[in-house]
Parts: sequence; C-alpha cells; structure tokens
Amino acid sequence: MDTNVLIQKWLTGELSEEERKAFDALEEASFYKDIVEDASYFKASNFSEVNDFATFKDKYITETASETKVIQMQWFQPVLRIASVVVVAFGLYFAFLYNSNVQVETAFAEKTTFQLPDATQVTLNAQSEVSYSSNDWDDNREIELKGEAFFDVAKGAKFDVLTDEGTVSVLGTEFNVKQRGSLFEVTCFEGTVRVVSNGITKILKAGDDFQRINGEIITGKNRAASPSWTNSMSYFKRLPVTEVFAELERQYNVKVQAENISQEQLFTGGFGHKDLDSALKAVSEPLGLDYQILKDDMVRFSKRE
Amino acid sequence: MYFDLKSSGLKTDLHKDICEGRIFESIYNKYSQSLHDYLYYKYGDRLNPGDKAQDAFAKLWENCKKVTPEKAKSFLYTVANNLMLNEVKHQKVVLKYQTESPKATTNENPEFLLEKDQYFKKYQQVLSKLSEEQRTAFLLSKVEGKKHEEIAEILGVTRKVVEYRIYSAFDVLRKELDNFKIK
Repeated sequence: MDTNVLIQKWLTGELSEEERKAFDALEEASFYKDIVEDASYFKASNFSEVNDFATFKDKYITETASETKVIQMQWFQPVLRIASVVVVAFGLYFAFLYNSNVQVETAFAEKTTFQLPDATQVTLNAQSEVSYSSNDWDDNREIELKGEAFFDVAKGAKFDVLTDEGTVSVLGTEFNVKQRGSLFEVTCFEGTVRVVSNGITKILKAGDDFQRINGEIITGKNRAASPSWTNSMSYFKRLPVTEVFAELERQYNVKVQAENISQEQLFTGGFGHKDLDSALKAVSEPLGLDYQILKDDMVRFSKRE
Repeated sequence: MYFDLKSSGLKTDLHKDICEGRIFESIYNKYSQSLHDYLYYKYGDRLNPGDKAQDAFAKLWENCKKVTPEKAKSFLYTVANNLMLNEVKHQKVVLKYQTESPKATTNENPEFLLEKDQYFKKYQQVLSKLSEEQRTAFLLSKVEGKKHEEIAEILGVTRKVVEYRIYSAFDVLRKELDNFKIK
C-alpha cells in the first residue's frame, strides 16, 4: 500500500489491523511517531495560560455590574439577616456539641488506606496527615493534606484537596498529590484535575504530571496506572537528592546524613520500601555515592573516593 | 462541576440563561482554556491570547441576552478571532518549546544534547513556516487531543478539510526533519 495513504490513515486513526502492521513495519514509523509526540513540547499551556474565572470576574465583570444583581439584593437582604442568625446558632451548636472533624495521620514507615463518607478511597503515604469534616461531606468535599496521598475519588460534585502550596480540584477521578516543603507534585491517573498554585491554574488530563519546586514549574507525562509508592516503590523524576533522602527517612524511619554531597544534584530513579540495604544501593549507585549504615536508625552517604 | 446547559430547564426563556452568573461561569470554565489554546497556536503568544480570550468573554457577557448558550461557543471563537485580526496583519508565529532544565541533563552526552536542541529549533522553524490553518489543526489534534469533528467546528470547515490540514502539516514536518531521523 502507498506509504502516504498509510500515513494519512494513521494520522486520522483509521488504520485497520493489517494496515497498522504495515505502518509499524515502515522503516520510519518510529520517527513519525516521535514527530507527533514531540509536538507536545510546544503545548500552549506550558507557556501561556488564561486566567481562572475568579480573576476574570474581578477584572471584567465588576465594572459592569448588571441591574438584576441590584434588584436581587433588595429582597435578599432581610433574608440574609435571618439567615445569619440561623448560621450563628448552628455554628455554636456544631462548635460545642458536634465536632465532626476527622483527622488521619501516618507515622514514619507507615501507610494506610481508608474511605471517606462517599466511598472515595484515600491511600496515605508515610508521615502524612489529612483532615476533613465528615458531617457535611456530601456538600463540601474538601480535604486538607500535609504530605502525600493517592485519591480514587467517587463520582459526585467538586472535590478539593488543599495543601500549603496549592489547591487541587478534581474534575474526574484518580490522582496523586505530594506536598513536602516547597515541593508540590500532582499526577493525574484518570479523568481530569485542576491545579491552582501561586496564581497559576493548570488542567491535568490522565497521564499528565505537574511539579513545582522552588518556584519552577515542570510538566510532563506519566504512563503508570497508579503512583509507584502505593506498590511500595518510591520513584523520582529529576528531583534534588535532598528530596530523595527525605523520602528514605520517611519510608524507613532513619536519619540520613549527607557528607560533601552537592544538594543541587538531581536524581531520577526509585527505591523499594521493603529492604533498606537495597534501597540505599539503588540511590547511591547512580549518584556515584558510598553509603554506610551507622546504627539501626542512622545512614550516611558520602562521595565515592 | 460543569453545568449541563441542556438540563437547565429554562427552555422557555433560553435567552436569559447566559446572563445568569452560574451559567456564565460554567461556560467560562468549559471554553476559556481551549479558546486560549486555539488563539495561541494560530497567532503565537505576542498578541496575548489570554487577554483576547477574556475580551471575548467580556463581549459575551455584554451580549448575554442576545446569545443563546448553544451559540456561545461559536460566538466566542468568532469574536476572539476577529479581535486578533483587528490587531495584526500576519506576522511570523514562533511557538516556544519546553526544554528540560539544563542542570537536569548533566549525565547526558553533550553531542546528544546538541542534536536534540537543533532538532527542536528546526521543529520550531517548520511550525512557523506552516500556514496558520495547518499549524492550528495539527496542534489542536496532536497536542490538545481534540477530535477532528470539534476542530472542524472551531475552524468552521468540514472534517475532511481538517484531516487534510493535519496530514499536510505532518507531511512538511517529516520532510523538513528528515535529517534527524535515527539511522
């Protein structure tokens, strides 16, 4: 078959089983695939963004406040007065009698999986903490996170994860959020999520990841079906070694000392959560470091001579 | 969280719909980013696609009584496109590409890095050389993953035309980038 026709059908996604084989057999098939894939390096949202609705509204809409709004407020005001009394009463009732804030924490070297009231699954990585309010959960799906967690969100309205470094709003289903110090990392595994961090809004589709470290934003792709740590692996993509050491400390409950190691050095790779010795090997080998287990809970990395 | 316009139940008085803040917001959330992306691919970033997209939404708000929700999308694309055209007579569009941060690649062979850099420079040049139509259709399809039907609707052409534009864009790319083929 004519190569041009094959290419045309490939671009349109209309290759039959047989034609696909013929296409893959082309000497240049992988080159063609690269061209299409590399186009994503030019992705618009990496360079330029549109403001979110709130910003847009402040800038454009308040200037032209419509008449309907004014009319609405006139009958609305007495209602608001009554409402505020009710709200205060309820507020007092809930504050003193009905404390429904739920907190879940994990210690070093501990992971846990639990369910939220709506059957959303949350898997919490080591030394992390979430809190949410259970009584009005169905109306207000908001959860606060310090650390790292994987969410498999049940269908429903808005679902927000709040961290110190930004907010992740779910428009779909499965995603991972990691906020450790100034590192903020979101990976979307299924559906769509929106990340708002430092005034920047990004929409992540399945397979996208977002990373902000020391103010620098990197976005990339990810092919895994769930975060590696839920399968007892920690994986890093171009992160400073300090982040890797910090994760070692969290997973094995050890203290890590680093001797003469440039903090700037970046690490790509992973380690398992089952065996400290092989984890240390996995980290030290690619970085050209030596390691030593000093005590049960003390590890030292040093530059190889 | 997107509002389904068809189920809004106000069929008798559709013209009022967009003037309602909540519905306007849902339209904004649904279309603003893809409107922006379209402007960016077509005209580059020098004319501030983000502002133009927002100007179009401001126009939609002003005209909220006249535009039905079904027409909102094409209203936005047309207005934004016109706003761009008013401002510029065709200039060269150079799209940026995302480089991996240099400190990250210390372990890669410098020759490989150089080649990669040249490859993306060339890729960028070829994208600039493509016609607006080719570039927009190709990037909306392959980067944003939009369906051909949707691109056709945005660009106001048939699906066949979209497919032809994608193909011809790709054809230029593969010929111009031929030197970078891995032997």
